[in-house]
Amino acid sequence: MTKRYFRKVAFGLGPHQTPPSDPVKWAQSQLDEVPDITWDGPLLTGDEYLEKYGEFVHTRREILRPKYRNDRQAYEDAKEKLAFRLGEKYYESLELAVRHHTALNSKAPVFERLWLFWCNHFAITDKDFMPQFVTGPYHREIIRKHMTGSFQELTQAVTLSWAMIHNLDNSESVGPNSQRGKWRREKGKPASVNENHARELLELHTISPEAGYSQKDVIALSYIMAGWRHEWTKKRQECNPVKFDQKAHEPGNHEVLGKRYKQRGITPKNKLIDVIADLAVHPACAQFIAKKLCRHFICDEPTEEMIAPIRDVFEKTGGDLPSVHKMLMKVVWDHAPDNQKFHNPEVWLLQMVNMTGATWPPSPDMMAYDFDDYPSRMLRAPQKYMREIGHEPYRPDQPNGWPDTKLEWLSPELLIRRLTFAKRFSEGVHQPQDLDHQRMIAKNFDNAEEVQASIADVRMRRGEDVPMQIIFPSVWMLLA
Amino acid sequence: MSVSRRHFITGLSSLSLMGSPLFNARAEGMAKRNLVVIMLRGGMDGLTAVPSRDSILGKARPDIMVDSALSLTADFQLHPQLKRFHELWGKGQASVVHATNIPYTNRSHFEGQDVMQSGGHVPYGDKTGWLGRGLKAAQLEGVALSLPMPLLLRGGTTPDNFYPAQFQMPRDLIIDKVASSYHDDHDIKEMMDKIRARPRSMSFYTSSNVDDLARQAADQLARDEGPRVAVFDIGGFDTHAAQGGSDGEHGEKLREYDRVLNRLTRGLGGALDNTLIVTLTEFGRKLHQNGGYGTEHGYGTAILMAGGLVKQSQIFADWPGLSRKNLYEGQDLMATIDARSVYCSAMAACFDTDFEALRRGAFYGDPLVDLTDRLFKV
Repeated sequence: MTKRYFRKVAFGLGPHQTPPSDPVKWAQSQLDEVPDITWDGPLLTGDEYLEKYGEFVHTRREILRPKYRNDRQAYEDAKEKLAFRLGEKYYESLELAVRHHTALNSKAPVFERLWLFWCNHFAITDKDFMPQFVTGPYHREIIRKHMTGSFQELTQAVTLSWAMIHNLDNSESVGPNSQRGKWRREKGKPASVNENHARELLELHTISPEAGYSQKDVIALSYIMAGWRHEWTKKRQECNPVKFDQKAHEPGNHEVLGKRYKQRGITPKNKLIDVIADLAVHPACAQFIAKKLCRHFICDEPTEEMIAPIRDVFEKTGGDLPSVHKMLMKVVWDHAPDNQKFHNPEVWLLQMVNMTGATWPPSPDMMAYDFDDYPSRMLRAPQKYMREIGHEPYRPDQPNGWPDTKLEWLSPELLIRRLTFAKRFSEGVHQPQDLDHQRMIAKNFDNAEEVQASIADVRMRRGEDVPMQIIFPSVWMLLA
Repeated sequence: MSVSRRHFITGLSSLSLMGSPLFNARAEGMAKRNLVVIMLRGGMDGLTAVPSRDSILGKARPDIMVDSALSLTADFQLHPQLKRFHELWGKGQASVVHATNIPYTNRSHFEGQDVMQSGGHVPYGDKTGWLGRGLKAAQLEGVALSLPMPLLLRGGTTPDNFYPAQFQMPRDLIIDKVASSYHDDHDIKEMMDKIRARPRSMSFYTSSNVDDLARQAADQLARDEGPRVAVFDIGGFDTHAAQGGSDGEHGEKLREYDRVLNRLTRGLGGALDNTLIVTLTEFGRKLHQNGGYGTEHGYGTAILMAGGLVKQSQIFADWPGLSRKNLYEGQDLMATIDARSVYCSAMAACFDTDFEALRRGAFYGDPLVDLTDRLFKV
């Protein structure tokens, strides 16, 4: 029996969860449908958020700036009031609470672990006000909703999302020979494509540099992508839905990885869709995704033996995600006895909460906000906690997301932060009620006796200091 | 950009070095020298920070030219947001290496930021950084003051970092017990031991806003027995859009750099004389502006250097010019100086260590040029 498995593919077993008789089947049965978000408090859709974002930037740029140009203090005050009214200091915390509530209360915790994985694979960096208004709903509506289809569908949804288009500047891209490009040149202005999104689509999202593409491929793909942009309006500024603007699109057929992409039908929109369809089933893509999944769920340096079955299913099914995920669950099981993975701070925290029954995140009632003043300490807690633990899911610095190896996560200060959180979750408002440590450890650790001994040792010397006991097994939770 | 994205890292010479010959040499009267690296992530544009007085530049960038630039030399100007840098220039405490870059030309941030820190040739080819290996070659140990551990500082000794925490730590007793009762993984165990050996000054609560961090870094660097390496991290130089001239996004980022420089140089007091502050970025930006009044990923850029160890106010460059035939791939400022020669020389000047030893220890024995005498006071 490999108890570690439940901590590798889910968040361990909680006080009220009993170990399933067939763990692989249990894991695989959670992957065919998208479980509901468990939050029953008010929640905005991505479109509603985008409208608020538009009002936020429009008001700041077009109304407050000219109005208060000679009064800095009044300008600052007006900006703050606007931020309260539109939830700028609140929504990131709310979305993190929703994320954690769902991860911990979902009927399919294995699906939730994969959700966190894919959110980080298609990472949105800390840019503009995206962590406050965009990234949370993007994770819920773009990533999550497409996890039961093909990798191609997921990639296409991501690539055409407002979040990714804006994050990687594709709206700035103008084909040099497009209508807009010509207008610009007539006015003596330069017109060129922005290669950012095209490069990341190849490098980080699909085939990776291992595929051996060139700068020519990147440019050709950015020609093909030119025109996929958000409309700019005075009222909502850049915060309008993504549309295909043929006037910015580079005309002609362009060659990516040796294949020429041609217009079918009356618009050239199909070209990008066709490229994505090919990238998403490219052997290098299958290899890249399989290896990345193994690295996240099995160990830092996955072997060919681990990668191969997942890659093969990816290739055979054309990247059908439930099939890929199910094979992953089996491979993780096969290799669980000999391999441990160092958990990133968020997964570690959620695992600790789930296994001990600690109280987290704040409930929908507690997260209610009046949009009138600075959010209370409780309302800001989710964001502050993730910052303090060194892992803010909506704020990676780079489009390659948060790192995923022990070397990158292990340092004294980051380790101290874990201890700080273990202490915090052992007492006060987060403290678990009626936790049976012995059972929790027996259920979740293959080396239960060893873990148990570390607590017993302390209990002997310090008496029955129950809350402190979480701190001890929490260190053993770093690896699974 | 939020404050949390900037972090600084400070290297402390460890107590375990007390007996080393190097440490004794310093203890016998040689002043401690500090090296501060400010990473400018996203691709800092040398032609915006230090524009050349060249009509080609204006033609290539009609909408994002830096007007009201400050004067440096007959050939070069300075971005107006770099006020503190300009003051230091006036005192002979700031200089620029121009038309330089790390040997990386593939225009990817992630690869570029990997290579600028590893100092190697192949992206993701090395898991250690040139500053970490340089510290090792100089027989020094260091503590990083940052929550994430940057690649730049890895590779010397076991990673050790510190960053002001907002939440209360468990008591020493608890940490002791946790450490002594854990024995699963060697690396985690090693970290635990580092934590146990920490001085108390590392467990107090302090503010982590960038001004306080810069001030705190300066305070620590100024101490004789304190840190000798510090690394700051400023992101957001990837201005594909709204780059602007004097007022735009790129200028805002340069202003952030100048603010850190200001806090550091003022906070260091007399220790500024023995300090060198250099910038590091993954690449410059293309000469021509794009459709979004921004610029694309390029190649050659500039290194901004400040502090008392700077030899003199100078633009140090083998200037390639901006006409098309002189551009890299017809698009970018050419890099005529391998930036690693500058960094290797900077370490030689700051670590009291032979350039050759650092070239071999930190840069794989690559054919770098010793610029120590020309750029720094030795």
